[in-house]
Amino acid sequence: MVKIYTTPSCVYCKQAKEYFQKNGVEYTEVDVVRDEAARDEMIKKSGQMGVPVIDINGQIVIGFNQKQVEKALKK
Amino acid sequence: MYDLIIIGAGPGGVAAGIYAARKKIKVALIAESFGGQSLVSADVQNWIGTKSVSGYDFGKMLEEHLKAYKDDIEIIEGERVNGVEKLDSGFKVKTNAGKALETKAVLVLSGSRRRKLGVPGEKELDGRGLAYCSICDAPLFGGKDVAVIGGGNAGLEAVLDLDPYAKKIYLLEYSDSLKGDPVTQEKIKKNSKVEVWTNIKTTEIFGDKFVEGIKYEDLKTGDKKELKLGGVFVEIGAIPNTEFVKDLVATNKYGEIVVDHKTQRASVEGIWAAGDASDVLYKQNNISAGDAIKAVLNIYDYLSKL
Repeated sequence: MVKIYTTPSCVYCKQAKEYFQKNGVEYTEVDVVRDEAARDEMIKKSGQMGVPVIDINGQIVIGFNQKQVEKALKK
Repeated sequence: MYDLIIIGAGPGGVAAGIYAARKKIKVALIAESFGGQSLVSADVQNWIGTKSVSGYDFGKMLEEHLKAYKDDIEIIEGERVNGVEKLDSGFKVKTNAGKALETKAVLVLSGSRRRKLGVPGEKELDGRGLAYCSICDAPLFGGKDVAVIGGGNAGLEAVLDLDPYAKKIYLLEYSDSLKGDPVTQEKIKKNSKVEVWTNIKTTEIFGDKFVEGIKYEDLKTGDKKELKLGGVFVEIGAIPNTEFVKDLVATNKYGEIVVDHKTQRASVEGIWAAGDASDVLYKQNNISAGDAIKAVLNIYDYLSKL
């Protein structure tokens, strides 16, 4: 399961979502500006407070690093 | 063997790519992504011909324009150039994906990246309340007191990005006055949420798990103080992305490639540079595009005489 934590204005979040759409990866998105519980969850999971944070089956990728994302998806 | 390899896909790289493609020379462009540093700008209002565009859409615009010429230019996306080697004739350009391309001419438009403060706590608290992308992360600082370090255009923009969310914004500038565009300065000075402090040298960022504040020196009085904060955004300028050619061409003390501003030629025949990677006095999207085009025209002259 792929979950992405975003803010509405974040360009790297948009790039990540585009990447998922282009490659047919299903994902759920949570906006951490509106959803405070999700924000806390993101900070807890990643130990930091920058977006995007991508949770790929429990593997946490901070920022949109395409290589890391590809690697995590392959596992 | 390529005629030309263009490195970078900000406004300079894309402008060069379009001009080179239209000249029908054998050209490749290598870049990690499109858009350059404006990608994270909330609103670009000075790209000539476009009243207002977000950095993200600006990147898309550039990408679409270049890809309209995809039959005439090879675009190698998602890779970073990590070396340029001089051959007996021409150059070998290497990427982090292991590609090696031979070319007669190289045009460096690799731009620059953010400069860091170099103070204690910076590394440890990176991402933990210390942020570099205000447009991305500003919404996470709702109700907090934050500081923006750096009073240039990027610093002023960070203040605007934070304005809808933060409780209070300190804009800290090292020199004795702000450097960004007066039109934005005025907007910020009218905002009661913002305090502008000049002559401030940040000496440390502290906090246990997340940023709790900074230590600073008031350069006018010599006072050393602390400021409690929930977040810090750093916008103190840029370092040119020129490491991959620094042993090949002359650079200045900032690492910028020294060019002849009439032609954009670097110190080694066959290499050109423009935009933020070069020693151009003003770092601007429009100037990067114009100088990159100037370089391509000069490269075209050069190639036709080979």
